[in-house]
Amino acid sequence: MSFFDSIRQKASSVKFLDKLTDSFGPVLTRDEIFKFEYKLPNDENILDDTNADISIISPHMKPKDLRHENEEGMAYVYSGRLFLTSHYLVFKDSFDHSSCVFVLNITTIRRVERAPTTSYAFSLGITLYSGVRIIIQFIGLRSRSEEFCYKLKEQLTKNIPNTKTLTPFLETCYSEYLIARNVLKRVDASPPPAGLGQIYKYPGNPAIMKEKPKLRLWFEYFRDNGKNLTIVKNHMFQKLIRVGVPNRLRGEIWELCSGSMYLRFANQKEYVTILKANEGKTSQAIEEIEKDLNRSLPEYAAYQDEEGIKRLRNVLTAYSWKNPDVGYCQAMNILVAGLLIFMTEEQAFWCLFSLCDNYVPGYYSKTMYGTLLDQKVFESFVESKMPVLSEHITTHDIQLSVVSLPWFLSLFFTSMPLPYAFRIMDIFLVNGPKTLFQVALAILKVNGEDLLEVDDDGMFIAILKNYFQTLDHSAHPESSDIKYKQITKFQELLVVAFKEFSIITDAMVEQERNKYRKDILHNIESFAKRTQLRNLPQTRNLTKDNLSNIYDLFYQSIESHKISMGTGSSNMDFEAFIQFLSKFCDWCKPSESEQIPRFRKQKRGFLKRLFKQWDISSSNELTLNDVVSGLDSLLSKDLMSSINNFFALFDQEGKGEIQREEVLQISEGLLFLTEPWKSGRCVDYLTQKSIEEDIADSLIENNLDHINSMDQIELPSGVVIDEEKYKTEQTERYLKAASNFLQRSFEYARPLDLSEEVDLLDLSDSDGESQDIKKKKWDTLKANAALDPSHPTVIDLATFRMIILADETYELFFAQTLRHSVHVDEKISPADGKGKALRNMFDGLLADGRRVANQMRRRVDSVATKASSSSESPVDYAEKQEELDDFTSYQPDEHVDLLKADLIGFEDGHEQNHQTPKARVESFSLDHTHSHNNESTVEFET
Amino acid sequence: MNTSVTSIKLVLLGEAAVGKSSIVLRFVSNDFSENKEPTIGAAFLTQRVNMGDHTIKFEIWDTAGQERFASLAPMYYRNAQAALVVYDITKPQSFIKARHWVKELHEQASKGIVIALVGNKLDLIEGGAERKVAREEAEKLATEEGLLFFETSAKTGDNVNEVFLGIGQKIPLKKPDEQSQGSSGLRINDDNRVDLAAGGPGSSNAGACNC
Repeated sequence: MSFFDSIRQKASSVKFLDKLTDSFGPVLTRDEIFKFEYKLPNDENILDDTNADISIISPHMKPKDLRHENEEGMAYVYSGRLFLTSHYLVFKDSFDHSSCVFVLNITTIRRVERAPTTSYAFSLGITLYSGVRIIIQFIGLRSRSEEFCYKLKEQLTKNIPNTKTLTPFLETCYSEYLIARNVLKRVDASPPPAGLGQIYKYPGNPAIMKEKPKLRLWFEYFRDNGKNLTIVKNHMFQKLIRVGVPNRLRGEIWELCSGSMYLRFANQKEYVTILKANEGKTSQAIEEIEKDLNRSLPEYAAYQDEEGIKRLRNVLTAYSWKNPDVGYCQAMNILVAGLLIFMTEEQAFWCLFSLCDNYVPGYYSKTMYGTLLDQKVFESFVESKMPVLSEHITTHDIQLSVVSLPWFLSLFFTSMPLPYAFRIMDIFLVNGPKTLFQVALAILKVNGEDLLEVDDDGMFIAILKNYFQTLDHSAHPESSDIKYKQITKFQELLVVAFKEFSIITDAMVEQERNKYRKDILHNIESFAKRTQLRNLPQTRNLTKDNLSNIYDLFYQSIESHKISMGTGSSNMDFEAFIQFLSKFCDWCKPSESEQIPRFRKQKRGFLKRLFKQWDISSSNELTLNDVVSGLDSLLSKDLMSSINNFFALFDQEGKGEIQREEVLQISEGLLFLTEPWKSGRCVDYLTQKSIEEDIADSLIENNLDHINSMDQIELPSGVVIDEEKYKTEQTERYLKAASNFLQRSFEYARPLDLSEEVDLLDLSDSDGESQDIKKKKWDTLKANAALDPSHPTVIDLATFRMIILADETYELFFAQTLRHSVHVDEKISPADGKGKALRNMFDGLLADGRRVANQMRRRVDSVATKASSSSESPVDYAEKQEELDDFTSYQPDEHVDLLKADLIGFEDGHEQNHQTPKARVESFSLDHTHSHNNESTVEFET
Repeated sequence: MNTSVTSIKLVLLGEAAVGKSSIVLRFVSNDFSENKEPTIGAAFLTQRVNMGDHTIKFEIWDTAGQERFASLAPMYYRNAQAALVVYDITKPQSFIKARHWVKELHEQASKGIVIALVGNKLDLIEGGAERKVAREEAEKLATEEGLLFFETSAKTGDNVNEVFLGIGQKIPLKKPDEQSQGSSGLRINDDNRVDLAAGGPGSSNAGACNC
């Protein structure tokens, strides 16, 4: 019967292996798998490995354990694989992978020598601090064996400094004490510090739990197989854990199984250091911890006492500092409260660390993605393993995770009576994450029939609650067989969990996790986004779509932050702020001007002010709320508030007036902000209008002769615009605006006594001058004004506004240009600098020919009324408008075609016609010459 | 004697340690415990209340308050006909959080959900502690958002039952025969939430409302 069972089991596991190959999860490296298997710290990579035969001789072994008395070479021999890492010698037998497994810390080695051997093989004899001898007989090429030995020797040398930490560490292990007292008969040995249970009693009845006999079994195990850092695990080890670890030893065994012992040994001072370094500091996690300290296993005596609370506080706060990405999550308090019954603070700290990293990854993270993921995995297991129950649950709309979530999150500590939860924990730590699924499935399985009777969450929960409270009752109260009747529900649960559901493997858990991870993370992200958008401050100038875009841009700029994992800071520092703005603000996009030091200074100077203004809490970081409020006021549609807002950047005391130095900085700020238009990368409305008018004018002019009525307008198939001309015009306009601004600022500054300088620096007639000369003049002006401390002047807000409004370009800038340069409505496009913005702008302008068409229509209208006698009916008129629109909508492509022909066509225009539109646009930008073109093209020059 | 029973699914939401579980404990067992374990995920309790010739059975979902548990909340408030949004009148931050919950419920929960805004820990004020959330401010929010409003003390039991009675009165009672069908009408499955069952369309949950 059992033979068939095992065949069936094998068959099903093979099936799952097949499935495994389909899994698309992240591929772990050999080192990662190795470290996970032996619960080794992160830096323990494999340095070398070899096949070897191992025999172990304990000085305390009874002669019957040896096949022949006093013959070392005749101890049991295990064949397997030996690994060397920087601090450990790891061995696993290849017979069944659990007859002889050890993770030996190298510092425990006292002597290594060539072992006397009767065979030709190469052997090493290792003597440990405890007197245990390990004989390693290498299998394989002699040279490889020599190489392994050489590397081992190297690591031994490197580990010499660590040996002095060994003795104090061993003094914290109860297993050492047991041996010292009972084998070495050292009466002076004192027991190591223990968990709270030693003071406040362990939960449960020690007689029922058979504490003493269990402890004796462990003592014997330690005597024969070593302990803590030198323990050799065999089948007995597993068995001893399954029957329940005695309370006094539980802390150490948990440490050993979870691998946190290796962490604690490697980082002996760290726990104390963390606590000390963060003493008196506060954080959100600390506040949350304080709220829960009195609420962690409150029924256990230690947690009604200062001592228990203190230890709990220390471990939780230390962890929150050690891993700020997690901080503190409710349920951790219960977990740690449980650990501290059996462990010292330091042990519990490292055990928690190990648990969070390897056993329940992501469970306690800020988004709890691990919890959500494993609930999904659990549901899928229920679906495949218990289809009837699963269907029942679905039909009656019962949310399984409502029931099972606390099981996983608090590792059954809040669901079962503690002594049972601790037994599950024993097995969980030795067998890994699959254990939780096995137990949870078994709970449903055992209660399956009852659960199928109920149809709502409430009853579902009630059944399970009752079940947990009667775990100590007989599983078969009606049975006449006394032995059978003695089996408790808890024992039954373990059998179902670890026999029936042994088909659930860690690989399957991982495979299912991979299957659902993407969905879960995506859901979390969209949930987080919706929640945050909902709770944003009210905005007047930003739409919902804008906010959604800003949210995306914001988090894209903070690279360290992972929304779904909840790791990293979600706040924005200054550098990220620049990145953020450069994604959608024309004036912050990377440009050629950045090569000019002065521009870089202007840019950083201005952005720093903006950052400071938005940073309401003065924390030197921006939250999403800060950014939204800031952008909202920046995008104000009201001209006056737009100007005021800009002024406030420089009026940091909020006095409503600014000093001369700040006036100069305002001017620098304006120069920076207007750079895209000054350099011709962007086009403002004035330029745009003039282009449109010119196009319309020329169309009319060139066709005037033929036009008698609207019907006769022949639409040209292409237009050329002289980019350079408009660029220059716009540049000049902006430069003039800048100079006017400075001039007027000093003219109207109070008190008015800078007239002389102002006269000198009148730049209004500098049309013919090159930019360089103008810049020089500004510098002079700046120098003059700034260096003249004898004439203090101030400008108040009203004056500033007047100065801005006096200039058409700047007025427009604050009324519109600036607002339009912030593209919160656009989805993110990767910025690729170099004047593309301008090209896009021109292309866009022409593509959006409606405006041009309207300009033209107005002119045609006036011409038509002059020249023609026929009056148009409104209906005809509408048709014409339609036609014009038609023309403009296909026109851009054609005009580019022609342009290209115009420019490259000197050589072979026809061939070039086959170029892609993109390439044509490129050539368009090269067109700096005012070239004429063929008949069908209309060229504009005013 | 007409003993028709109406079930009301009620969910408690609010910041950590404002006294959600204590309010439930007071209502269900007329008890109070100074150090209640934080709720992990959610707790489920029921209580029957007689109102005239009707009996209302409250199915109470008491949720975890810590911020990071918020993503689990939709799992609990889905299909809820009533919600208690609880804050601590001595903690202004908890009132801000309450506002957020009200917004979320209006957006995500069943249409027509009856929400009661509950300021808890009234006993602290009587004990001399400083009130940090003005009654007027909370009343204003309640009026704007159409909420019931109460200030309670789970410790003394002050006003606790009134909250549940108030909700009971506001929810239209159904005749027993309507109930089985009627409840399915309320089971609006909103896809816009973190749904553990969301393995894509056609997942086990999506079919649930067709019952």
